[in-house]
Amino acid sequence: MFSLLKKKLSEVAKKLTGKAKEKEVKKKEVKKAERVKREKEKTVKKKPKLIEKIVRKVTVKKLDENDVLPILQDLELSLVEADVAFETAEKIKKNLVNELVGKEIRRGKEKEVVLNAIKKTLLKILDVPSIDLVKMVRGKKKQGKPFVILFLGYNGSGKTTSMAKLVHFLKKKGFSCVFAAADTFRAASIEQLEEHARKLGIKVIKHRYGADPAAVVFDAIKHAEANRIDVVLADTAGRTHANRNLMDELKKIVRVNKPDLKVLVIDSLTGNDAVEQAKMFDEAVGVDAVMFTKVDVNEKGGAILSVTHTIKKPILFLGTGQGYEDLEIFEKEKFVKDLIS
Amino acid sequence: MPTSLGKSLSNLMKRILFSKRLDKKEVESFIKELQRVLLQADVSVELVKKISDNLRKKCLETKPPPGLTLREHLIKTLYEELVELLGKEPSSLIGKRRIMLIGLFGSGKTTTAGKLAKYLQKQGLKPALVACDYHRPAAPDQLKQIGEQIGIPVHVNKDKDPFKAAKEGMEKFKQMDSIIFDTAGRNALDKELADELKKLGRIINPDEVLLVIPADIGKVGGKQAEEFNKLVGITGVVITKMDGTARGGGALAACAATGAKVKFLGTGERLDDLEVYDPIRFVSRLIGFGDLQALMEKAREAEIKEEDVKKIVEGSFTLADFYKQIEAMQKMGPLDQLAQMIPGLGYTLPQDILQIQEEKMKKWKAIIQSMTPEERENPSIINKSRIERIAKGSGTKESEVRELLRQFEKMKKLIKSMGGIKGLKRGAFQKVLKRFGFKM
Repeated sequence: MFSLLKKKLSEVAKKLTGKAKEKEVKKKEVKKAERVKREKEKTVKKKPKLIEKIVRKVTVKKLDENDVLPILQDLELSLVEADVAFETAEKIKKNLVNELVGKEIRRGKEKEVVLNAIKKTLLKILDVPSIDLVKMVRGKKKQGKPFVILFLGYNGSGKTTSMAKLVHFLKKKGFSCVFAAADTFRAASIEQLEEHARKLGIKVIKHRYGADPAAVVFDAIKHAEANRIDVVLADTAGRTHANRNLMDELKKIVRVNKPDLKVLVIDSLTGNDAVEQAKMFDEAVGVDAVMFTKVDVNEKGGAILSVTHTIKKPILFLGTGQGYEDLEIFEKEKFVKDLIS
Repeated sequence: MPTSLGKSLSNLMKRILFSKRLDKKEVESFIKELQRVLLQADVSVELVKKISDNLRKKCLETKPPPGLTLREHLIKTLYEELVELLGKEPSSLIGKRRIMLIGLFGSGKTTTAGKLAKYLQKQGLKPALVACDYHRPAAPDQLKQIGEQIGIPVHVNKDKDPFKAAKEGMEKFKQMDSIIFDTAGRNALDKELADELKKLGRIINPDEVLLVIPADIGKVGGKQAEEFNKLVGITGVVITKMDGTARGGGALAACAATGAKVKFLGTGERLDDLEVYDPIRFVSRLIGFGDLQALMEKAREAEIKEEDVKKIVEGSFTLADFYKQIEAMQKMGPLDQLAQMIPGLGYTLPQDILQIQEEKMKKWKAIIQSMTPEERENPSIINKSRIERIAKGSGTKESEVRELLRQFEKMKKLIKSMGGIKGLKRGAFQKVLKRFGFKM
């Protein structure tokens, strides 16, 4: 009987322990399962973060100098090759480095981002207020006064030819014009203007060679007032900005005649010196607009960028050939594309 | 050109020229700076690379020749590199019968034609001018007016035909020593204009073809020069507008592209403003710093003599000696050129001060010339009435006479003190001159 009991007890005990064991196992299993589950959950929770991180790491990066500098150095050289003044090219490069280094961008897009930034920067430089010549002339006409344009620039930059082209343009818009032969220095400058005038069918107001250019412009304005002529275009002698006496003479012409528009004519073939020319003419008399000539000889014409960067004045026209028709409106998008291509 | 870049280069030059040890690192940094300067002077990227590579090869990879320090060797090599491109020899047009001028629009061909004619005339030759530009309105008129100004015959064709003009000109001026042909400005890449030039070249068969390029031209200079060379073959280059602020680096490219050398420089708007090319002066200007060696040589020439030294030490420096010194300084060349020759000084001195300084020296000479020998030897006798007389005689103001006397006293003291301390070593007087000349 006892033995039976013992057996039963042991059986119970066995069962119990077994159950306990089982329980333990079960517990363990549960724990494990829970752990697995938790871990699973963890990983499930963690996974999107990690992927994001990896994705970010793969696709987004901070630009550092090593990404930016080689491209910008190439840019600087190609700008210099295109006759952008070295000083200007260097400034553009420096600004771009500052702007781009440390910027977060999508990986693989470094070049694109840098190129876009370059384009944006160049376009911004060229983004100067434009002037509407026709509107300005019309406004002055309403007041019953002639619009006076003074042309200035270095020797051989193309002032006289540019004037003739502008007369052609203005006449097509229905305005009457007269030339003031205020270059009283260079041999045959007056004859040159007279020949243009003959072809264009307008008059030239002139004095002798060696006469005071300020007086010539003054007379031309009086002539225009008396004869109801809309526009006076005054030619001045080419002068180097380094000669103080000649710059003083220019100042006098401006002081006496108060022109409505002072147009600086710059040869687009000019290299680094374009900056110096623009700066000094602007400082002396204040430039209102710039005309770049001979653009057909050098389409890249980096001088356009350096000059605009330096004095931030509107570009009136580009001279693109020998004919009177060869006058173009400046298109900055096209220019920038040509420049960095 | 007083730019910040110029200043930084001049500082670098100072460092190189006056550094106690010039090592490879310094040379390397010098070359880097030089590249910037050349680029700013419109020298093409390609040429800049070539020049700096050569400098490296000659100055870093090989030892300087005996008797030369690395420093001297570096400066010398740089000059040689640039002069190699630009030409060593001052050129001569004597014996050249037919001279043809070609170039881009507005480069200054017609004015240069006049200047060259005047130059030849001054050499005792009989030149003539032929107008072959019938594109630009009134270009023949311009040549005619120039001819009238300097008394040189000009031929113009009535039908405005450049070819006929050339033929007639050659016939008409058979007896003349030289005939200068002024051609129309053109884009060498324009087919029509290029063909015209080619034909003109065949008719004239020139023995000198001068490409006229402005100093401020950019990179396009090289390409255009190459095209012109293909069309007619260039024998020399004239750089115009050298009186502006441009450095003339575009000319380097033109020379490199064609192998032709610079022959003349246009330095102003008057017909006398033509200089025969001088490599040292031109290269100095191009790179924006002066030639120390040339300065030293010139300074040596202007150095005072033994007996003058004695006089100074004894305190018997007179106005007559002062006059000699002014003359000596003027012999060294215009002050601005002199200043450019001193490294580090070229950029720091404003043009205005130099101009004033030069005018002053002229006046001082006139003032001293208006003194009696007695006054020159013993300035202390100069009283109010004498000052009045001297001012009248020299066309100056009394205050200017007084200023001269004051400066003279100052200089006398300065010289005496320096002479006393240093025993007037070689070069000590130059220091005085420098201080005296530049620091007032």
